[in-house]
Amino acid sequence: MDEMSNSLAGLAQLAADIGPTLVPAGNEELLRSITESARQLFDAAACSLALLNEDEDELHFIMASGAGAESVIGMRMPAAQGIAGWVLMSGQAIAIDDVQKHPNFAEDFAESTGYVPRSLLVMPLETDLGVIGVIEVLDRHGHDRSETRDMELLGVFARQAALAIESGRLFTDLGRALLEAAGKAAGSTDLGNALRRHALLAPRPRADLAELAGLWHDLGEVGADERLTVTRVASELLAYLRTHRAR
Amino acid sequence: MTLPAWSEQFDDARLSRVSVPLPEMVTPEWAWGGAGGAGVRVAVVDSGVDGSHPAVGGIDGGVAIEYAPDQPDSVHHVEGPHEDLFGHGTACAAIIRSLAPECELYSVRVLGQRLTGKGMVFAAGLRWAIEHGMQVVNLSLSTGKPEYFGLLHEIVDQAYFSNVMLVCAVNNVLAPSYPAQYASVFSVAAHLGKDPLHFDYNPSPPVEFGAPGISVDVAWLEHSTITATGNSFAAPHIAGLITRILSKHPGMTPFQMKTVLSALADNVRA
Repeated sequence: MDEMSNSLAGLAQLAADIGPTLVPAGNEELLRSITESARQLFDAAACSLALLNEDEDELHFIMASGAGAESVIGMRMPAAQGIAGWVLMSGQAIAIDDVQKHPNFAEDFAESTGYVPRSLLVMPLETDLGVIGVIEVLDRHGHDRSETRDMELLGVFARQAALAIESGRLFTDLGRALLEAAGKAAGSTDLGNALRRHALLAPRPRADLAELAGLWHDLGEVGADERLTVTRVASELLAYLRTHRAR
Repeated sequence: MTLPAWSEQFDDARLSRVSVPLPEMVTPEWAWGGAGGAGVRVAVVDSGVDGSHPAVGGIDGGVAIEYAPDQPDSVHHVEGPHEDLFGHGTACAAIIRSLAPECELYSVRVLGQRLTGKGMVFAAGLRWAIEHGMQVVNLSLSTGKPEYFGLLHEIVDQAYFSNVMLVCAVNNVLAPSYPAQYASVFSVAAHLGKDPLHFDYNPSPPVEFGAPGISVDVAWLEHSTITATGNSFAAPHIAGLITRILSKHPGMTPFQMKTVLSALADNVRA
């Protein structure tokens, strides 16, 4: 059984490390398209997506379109702060018409993005695992605006984004995902339980390997030739290092 | 004669008198005319309440509950005054106050620390409200996590059996979220109306009541007022009306209250 445990743990680690290579191509494109479509649909100044980090103490803006988009992407803010913070915690959507009346709002926002909206619509991104982030729409201008319809529509975008993000995570958490799936499918209860136990213990991807796998994935999107070139450069470097270490 | 279990309480000598016999002719005048919520304890389970906001006009007490994994119940209670960390609890308290100016308001702060342990903190807030004799509880928060289904259901049942009216804002996602999804709570979404004394009853639940929550002016942080939209602003409108009705008809039970509300709803009266 120990040997089997070790093999399973090894498999989980390996799968977790290479998982990011397998994230469906176009996932990022889908998220970009979601923020851009939402922005256009609402004739809004901007739309952005922010995700909760693993420690659940920070929101990380992973996608944005419209005003200030470039400075918003990559921005981090404490999860327990401001209107987005309340939405994350309560799981409730909220729209505020005159957000500049919110104390400190303008200064905080302008400082981080260079754009201060008048109105804000914030909705939680929710999966079966709970709230994983928020989607925000700034300054909607549509002629026949209806708050209830806007919320309903953004709800559809939020669901779409949450599902895309979750599927991306399943790949980066491939070790767990594989073992969990195998556990469910296993005919024998003992084996099923063992697999599920390992799924719980499966390590997160090692940062360096996950980064490399992620780069690999991005290179694949650029083109097969480019990926081949980088592979060759890496093999040459490895060969060089081996010869020099051998001396 | 041997009675089956639970039958003794229906013996004529023991059966308690129902303080609000229904049906009666249910009109707004009968339900809340001349009443202001006096003697009714109302808890706002949210981000805290700024009692010094002129629209809130003071609160009577409260507790801040924080996640503390090393404690027996995984939570830590800090009784006494606290600030509102976001503004939302103050907004809800002010709406309730506007409808039931004489009620006793309590703030149960469960939001604001972090998300970890949210379900435990949330459950502890509900327990505190039930154990401290709150009669109406306004909840603008919910969780869709299946692992909290059982825990929250147990507490919500306990509230129902203690005649505590739980008023819950439903969330915006078309998926179950708790406790708004449970049958015994007053589940509320925003309707298009603006008049705080008017609401709708939906005979096809899970969402049972519609109340003002679209572009409403609400109290916020640092004595400010903002214009906001959300189901979470509709719930305190229903909580406020329930408080008012309860002050005129003490002893009313949650299902009687639902009956009265449904009789008073615009779409039913029309």
